[in-house]
Amino acid sequence: MRKRTSWLSTLANVAIFIVLEVAALQMVSHNAPLQRVWAVKGTHVVMAKLWGSSNNIRYYFSLRSANEKLAQENHALTKELLEAREMLRKVHVDTSRFAAQPGFSALAAEVVRISHNGQHNYLILNKGFEDGVQEKSGVITRSGVVGIVDAVSAHHAFAFSFQNNDISISARLGQEGGSGLLVWDGISSGKGVLKEIPLQYKYQPGDTVYTSGHSLLFPPDIPLGIAGGSRVINGATNEIDVQLFQDFSAIRYVTVVHNNSFDEIEEFVQ
Amino acid sequence: MRRNVFWLNYALLVAAQLLLTNYLRVSPYLLLTILPFMVLCISIRVGTVGAMLIAFITGLFVDMLSEGVLGLNAIALVPVAFARNSIIKLVFGLELFARQEDFCPKRNGFGKTVLALLIAHSIFLMVYLWVDAAGMRPLSFNLIRFAVSLAAGIPVSLLTLGLMAPDPRK
Repeated sequence: MRKRTSWLSTLANVAIFIVLEVAALQMVSHNAPLQRVWAVKGTHVVMAKLWGSSNNIRYYFSLRSANEKLAQENHALTKELLEAREMLRKVHVDTSRFAAQPGFSALAAEVVRISHNGQHNYLILNKGFEDGVQEKSGVITRSGVVGIVDAVSAHHAFAFSFQNNDISISARLGQEGGSGLLVWDGISSGKGVLKEIPLQYKYQPGDTVYTSGHSLLFPPDIPLGIAGGSRVINGATNEIDVQLFQDFSAIRYVTVVHNNSFDEIEEFVQ
Repeated sequence: MRRNVFWLNYALLVAAQLLLTNYLRVSPYLLLTILPFMVLCISIRVGTVGAMLIAFITGLFVDMLSEGVLGLNAIALVPVAFARNSIIKLVFGLELFARQEDFCPKRNGFGKTVLALLIAHSIFLMVYLWVDAAGMRPLSFNLIRFAVSLAAGIPVSLLTLGLMAPDPRK
């Protein structure tokens, strides 16, 4: 009986200790911006570790379907590679054009956690800085842009999803149309809005929207979606609805791309 | 009566800590504090939960009346209160708990008191410096700050021995 009381007393002490520490940490992070960033990053790391471990078990039992999907993707990539080789053989390639583009490094990763239901959605990837993932990297798939890496731990990365009110991507209408900012419409999973397109740029509904390459995060010419209806905003710019190619409910394998010149350009701009 | 005197002295030393925090800023490497020793000296009859609440309120009070970050002293002081009973058991033995007596350097030994203070002060400084640095300061800076603050904090805390842990036979 006495042992049980002592055990309960220890438990109460630990519970009150945690409550007081969390309250104090809340106050610290509320009152100091530096500590707030630190606390948020710490929370991301813990969240990534927790979800990463639970997902390992779940994924073990879904390996068969994952293998099938990988095989299909492998097949599609091989087919694309063969077609590209054939095109290269036929077409003269202006190498100076490619040399002028900034180099991007790419790394395959798996999504271990993704949120869909909030206004600030996020992803956790199973690759961290030990695997070569860096902060301020883009997350893409064959179907478009998925998000931006914000924090990195040893084996996981936290990325803001494109389905996030704070994220915008520099995008272009067609191969040579006007550039603007593509944002999530905040309501449906497959729709975005392309903003700030100057009125002089004409377009047709059905035109493809690509990444512009003006941001340092994503390579140019990644197809993002199809342009739909439009509105004129304040008589100055067009706002165009975009049906995205990316299905956010079925993401599992992604590619993390990092601009190798990112630090150099950032330093130059500052 | 003795208990009231302790709390009066405790309040006076909180005021002294406020003066130290607000007016004695010698170097960024020096964090002068007597709060861990004050929490260590709270009577063992108060219990861990009571000591943690007192430590939390004391830390918040000092944070509010000084120019630091609100919650920083509280977050570092609560672990000292949480570990207080274990420190006393480790350094002075279980006898004090059996007799429900508070430690006193004259009876329990000055060396043991310094050792208990060293542990309590180290816990406080480790948490305080870790949160204050927020991952932005280099380890070397934190280590130097820890060593300087510990070396300065212990003698200053020992100056308050007569107020916080007086000889009960006097």
